[in-house]
Amino acid sequence: MSPIVEARELRILFPTQDGRATVKAVDGVNLQVMAGETFGVIGESGSGKTTLGRALVSLIKPSAGQVLHAGVDLARVSSAELRLRRREHQIVFQDPNAALNPRLSILDSVVEPLQIAGSGSAESRQAAALAALSRVGLAREYASRYPHQLSGGQKQRVNIARVLTLRPKLIVCDEVVAALDVSIRGDILNLFADLQRELGLTYVFITHDLSVVSHISDRIAVMYLGRLLELGPTDELSDRPLHPYTQALLSAEPVPLPAALRTARRIVLEGEIPSPVDPPSGCRFRTRCPHARPRCSDESPAWRELRPAHWVACHFATPEGPPAVTEALQAQARTSLEMT
Amino acid sequence: MPVTTEPLRSADRVDALLELREVGVSFRTSAGDLAVTRGVSFRIARGERIGLVGESGCGKTVTGLAIMRLLAADSARISGQVLFEGRDLVGLSAAQMRALRGREIAMIFQEPMSALDPVFTIGHQIGQAYRSHFAVSRAEARERAVQALAQVGIALPSRRHDDYPHQLSGGMRQRVMIAMALICEPKLLIADEPTTALDVTVQAQITDLLRELSERSGTALLFITHDLGVVAETCTRMVTMYAGEVVEDAPVDAVLDRPRHPYTSGLLRSLPRLTPRRAPLGFIPGRVPGAAEMPPGCRFLPRCGHGMAGCDQPQALRVLARTPSDEPAGERRVRCWRADALQLPGSVNP
Repeated sequence: MSPIVEARELRILFPTQDGRATVKAVDGVNLQVMAGETFGVIGESGSGKTTLGRALVSLIKPSAGQVLHAGVDLARVSSAELRLRRREHQIVFQDPNAALNPRLSILDSVVEPLQIAGSGSAESRQAAALAALSRVGLAREYASRYPHQLSGGQKQRVNIARVLTLRPKLIVCDEVVAALDVSIRGDILNLFADLQRELGLTYVFITHDLSVVSHISDRIAVMYLGRLLELGPTDELSDRPLHPYTQALLSAEPVPLPAALRTARRIVLEGEIPSPVDPPSGCRFRTRCPHARPRCSDESPAWRELRPAHWVACHFATPEGPPAVTEALQAQARTSLEMT
Repeated sequence: MPVTTEPLRSADRVDALLELREVGVSFRTSAGDLAVTRGVSFRIARGERIGLVGESGCGKTVTGLAIMRLLAADSARISGQVLFEGRDLVGLSAAQMRALRGREIAMIFQEPMSALDPVFTIGHQIGQAYRSHFAVSRAEARERAVQALAQVGIALPSRRHDDYPHQLSGGMRQRVMIAMALICEPKLLIADEPTTALDVTVQAQITDLLRELSERSGTALLFITHDLGVVAETCTRMVTMYAGEVVEDAPVDAVLDRPRHPYTSGLLRSLPRLTPRRAPLGFIPGRVPGAAEMPPGCRFLPRCGHGMAGCDQPQALRVLARTPSDEPAGERRVRCWRADALQLPGSVNP
């Protein structure tokens, strides 16, 4: 089975504002997204996850490497063919407000993509738009309203309806619930899951929120400073991470449980993500890694499959997990076990 | 119509540092006065860490700003009492408030960059916070600022003292804000979403720091956040607000285990972490009513799955009559007349 979208040695570079340096937003990413799966991408701000997502739907051209859609490199096709093919690969953004034109009615917003695609008659476009609105759970009466009359969750439903009209195969979801209140996030995430089941959609789910990504994804890629550090099936990666960064990320997530039930010892990372203008040599994570050794600055770690379908870029990770923990960490783990 | 608010049983025993009594904030608009909070009552004991939680628009930030009297005096009206060590802050003059702000009560915000002045060094700004309350020389203020920077875990503090805000990362800036807030050793720190703009690994550093500093210095903390995980790990009590009212006020572990207000329970059940992977997530249907369209009775009723006759009456914030044996009695207040009858899922028992 060929992947629905694939990145090969993908590099995306931007000049800085003063033009004197280069931001390496994506710096050598390889990944394959298979039809029907939800592929999660997790990363902190500055990791390059949003740039990666935009490149996957050809909103940004690769500086080097390729993005293949069902085997076809969209950078090499004519603009007419690109327009036709990109309908199949859509994106939903974080801010449901900014994504809607305040002067268009909801119906006009949902019809717009079909108009641009030039498909069907005006009547059929309107019918498709109304069907999409009803599919995302918005009653007919919303069609004539304007964005300011809708809540954030309803606006995000409209944005989902917009991309559905084009019958995409792949939807990149970039922080689609981050701007929504906690109490309605579940509703929107359930909608994404329902649509996937019914329409056979493939998702690339980009987020900084570990609890969201691990709930919805089949596989998760962990991104840091433009590179993937780890990639694996969700349960594997969440329960038995291989990379020290993934391990720290998992342990940093605040858990809403009473103190007696919070067992995991937190690994507090030093410092913050360095600038993508001048990333560290060798392993990108080494400046914050508690296990860094000289080899980590000399040599970029190879991308190794240490467990079935579970890949990691770390010199010292083994199939058992991240590099051996220090004695101090072990002692901490023991005390927290004794306490529970 | 006035709605009753009962004090906690421990209110007689515990020496409150801050006590809000029926605090309401309303804003003057072209369409008349718009009440955004009403009857907000809770207490903070010395050294206690309270998480004030709720979704956007519930009134938690406005409550923090009202305590600090940072709402514009010409458009906002505060009713009720804000008692700090027994003194009502609502009636204080601007000069009296200035003497108190930063000295007795300090506040930090979500976005440290907009709270720092870009044209002065961070050390100068921290020193200024000290010099506005204590008559000391510049040299001594500098020394204090360097100490404060060291205390919040900034390496090479005497060198960092002369940095400008743009030279620091987001997490470092928030550390600077904390240093500035704590330099006068206030009795209460109000932190409004201090980690929301930060990455999760940096958030962990900052919440750990706030908890440690509070434990070490005895500074009480009012932690305003929408993140129940952060509250679980940082605070001792949780006060939940909905649509401008306090709906539940309880010890943090007890409320996470067994919430007694349907809204608190709904919030907890909405968290993906507490649902098996791939299973449908919980959510609360509907949306928060606007300030001008509040239901006359229970404000949560339109979204509540437990509504019945009687819920259309205004709800009092009452001390829970029946508490489980492992929970201290009289330590929980709930704004729901059915609280004693309802069995609601929390973060432990689905």
